[in-house]
Amino acid sequence: MPGESGRVLHAQLHLLDRQLIDQADGHLAGKVDDVELDLDADPPVVTALITGRERITARRIVDITTAVTVSVEDLDLDYYDDWVENHVIAKIPGARHAPE
Amino acid sequence: MKKVLGVTLGILTAIGGFVDIGDLVTNALVGARFGLHLAWVVIVGVIGICLYAEMCGRVVAMSGRPVFDLIRERLGPRTGLLTLVASFLVTLLTLIAEIGGVALALELASGVHYLLWMPLAAFAVWLVIWRVKFSRLEQVFGLLGLLLVVFAVALFTLGPDWGQLLHQATRPHPIGHENWATYAYYGIALFGAAMTPYEVFFFSSGGVEEKWTRSDLVTARSNVFVGFPLGGLLSLAIMGGAAVLFLPAGIKVETLGQVTLPVAVALGKLGLAIVLIGVFAATFGAALETALSCGYTIAQYRGWQWGKFVRPREASRFHVVIIVCLVLAMLTLLTAVDPVQVTEYSVVFAAMALPLTYLPILIVANDPDYVGEEKNGPVRNAFGLVYLALLTVASAAAIPLMIITKGGQ
Repeated sequence: MPGESGRVLHAQLHLLDRQLIDQADGHLAGKVDDVELDLDADPPVVTALITGRERITARRIVDITTAVTVSVEDLDLDYYDDWVENHVIAKIPGARHAPE
Repeated sequence: MKKVLGVTLGILTAIGGFVDIGDLVTNALVGARFGLHLAWVVIVGVIGICLYAEMCGRVVAMSGRPVFDLIRERLGPRTGLLTLVASFLVTLLTLIAEIGGVALALELASGVHYLLWMPLAAFAVWLVIWRVKFSRLEQVFGLLGLLLVVFAVALFTLGPDWGQLLHQATRPHPIGHENWATYAYYGIALFGAAMTPYEVFFFSSGGVEEKWTRSDLVTARSNVFVGFPLGGLLSLAIMGGAAVLFLPAGIKVETLGQVTLPVAVALGKLGLAIVLIGVFAATFGAALETALSCGYTIAQYRGWQWGKFVRPREASRFHVVIIVCLVLAMLTLLTAVDPVQVTEYSVVFAAMALPLTYLPILIVANDPDYVGEEKNGPVRNAFGLVYLALLTVASAAAIPLMIITKGGQ
């Protein structure tokens, strides 16, 4: 947790396998696959969340409710989604339009 | 006034959307073989789906999280993955059966072989998912599905001996040359048809699609507590018609044409036309729901962007899953497997996947982090636990019974 807020959380219950949400656009951005802890600190603090191959440092965590909102900025959480979008979905007519 | 209209519309949609190919085939088949001696299972199943769908609706309205989010969160990645594989395969099998059902309904209406209709049906399902807004898709097919009420009209027109039907319904045991093994097997099939996992995946994801909040709890509950039981009555009418027409003659139901026959006999050509439109709408609507549910389950397990509330390109992996599933369904049906038999197996496999689907819902409906003050009370929890035990027994007995009865022979 960011030092200043210092919420006490049960890492397994409140963080692991939670939905990640991109603060910028509200899009779903993967799951918390793992949690990195600093065990030297007392009590231990969460230093980062791991999703896929990306590491999200604790300072990027904006909010923790039933999902975890993060500030994605330069992290590439949408790599595979963008790949599928550019190679498959965007080629189908109507992919840019909202359904009616 | 607008609110009342919305609630009414929701209820009507829920009734029309309740019945799918699994309910149509299983209820008619069971009615023809067992009369109403298994009718109690439909009632038990409807209470079960009401109980758990209400919990899902509450969790979605209070937390905005759909069911499969919770399954991974509460069961962990490994058991969650097992649940994902099981419920995804069952949902895919159901999708295959629904698309087969759409094609069979078109064959009955046109005389053109269903395998020629099938690619067109699959393409139409994809096109609707790709282009049509969520709320519209749900309402159109739900309301058209209400035409299945002709099954109830037909039952009254056939003028059955009501005393005898009641006699059957209150005697829960096998009859004729049926034994307890086939009786239990088809009991589990009916249970699976009424509580199919995709119903809660679709119901809860639909809540997110329509951006439910606390104020939508009334709508969610009225859909569940009024719409589903009335949908269950339709199931019983289908069973009753088959019991009246086929049981005395000793005829087994093996085709979709036979499922609709009681209506044709009672109400003639007009009745047949109405029931065919109803069957088309019900199976097409369920094909949409199962195709979407295939995408919902995988995307929610993996945390991908999903849903029709964003443009297709923003949920690209979700849409790819749906396209791949529809292609797989098409290829499976092209092997000329009998869609009615696929349906029979799909409801039994659905029964097997039930406990893992419903356990996380029960856990989270008690978690104040998710539902705030709207936690389950002791009565709901007692019912929830009883059903979990029932589901576990049904799930464990499904495969042995399938082997003993050779698939219900």
